[in-house]
Amino acid sequence: MSSLSSKSAQEISALLDEYGIKHGPVVDSTRSLYEKKLKEAMSKGKKAKQSPDKTYYREEEEEVTYVYRTPVRSDGAGDRQSYSSYSRPKPEYRGRDYAEEPYMYDTPSTYSRNSTLKSTPMKSGQDTATAPQSSRLIPLWVQFVFFLAVAVFLYIVFSSMETNESLKGLE
Amino acid sequence: MSTTSQKHRDFVGEPMGDKPVTALSGIGEILGKKLEQQGFDKASVVLGQFLLLRKDSEMFTEWLKDASGANSRQAGSCAQCLREWCDAFL
Repeated sequence: MSSLSSKSAQEISALLDEYGIKHGPVVDSTRSLYEKKLKEAMSKGKKAKQSPDKTYYREEEEEVTYVYRTPVRSDGAGDRQSYSSYSRPKPEYRGRDYAEEPYMYDTPSTYSRNSTLKSTPMKSGQDTATAPQSSRLIPLWVQFVFFLAVAVFLYIVFSSMETNESLKGLE
Repeated sequence: MSTTSQKHRDFVGEPMGDKPVTALSGIGEILGKKLEQQGFDKASVVLGQFLLLRKDSEMFTEWLKDASGANSRQAGSCAQCLREWCDAFL
């Protein structure tokens, strides 16, 4: 990812649009502010760029490219190797996440995940990995345990009501 | 019920003309000096920046904080002042 200050004004403007940041013309006095905004948006891994379809395709593509890259690994640069090996656990993790999380969460997580591919892979990947977890106030397992506890409690109450024969007398 | 200062009402009540940057609500001497150092010596120049940022208060306050070291209250006050001036005269 090249530095923002080397980009042309039009490129900055296009990037701002991609991140959905409302902005005015990129001129001398506004440029540094917009660069700062872009840096914040990129580090947060905000929803950027591609549509869900492309992202989905990209997910499969990434799995394929990993296999592709392993033979290249030997002659590739060191950071490329770490990139491909780092991206490997992500599709599996994300795959489970898609199954568990409700549909609403699908798009933001795909967007955030995809942005890591384009921007710096290392740091932002970790951020997006932790980001979906922080979207839940109460961890998922706690919700399940609570649900089971309520179900068991209701069952006990119900079963105890069944054995109470005296109800028949009221009829 | 807005709690605007006299300075705010003075500014918003008439065309700004050639007023100095310190005439803006929220901008005192120290902030005014900092802005002047960056070339924003008149209120109209700051208005220019406000308009460049498409009259977006959030963007403008962020810019003002970075440019002059204003705090949230001062920057918000200035943004509101400019916004109301624009509503009246622009």
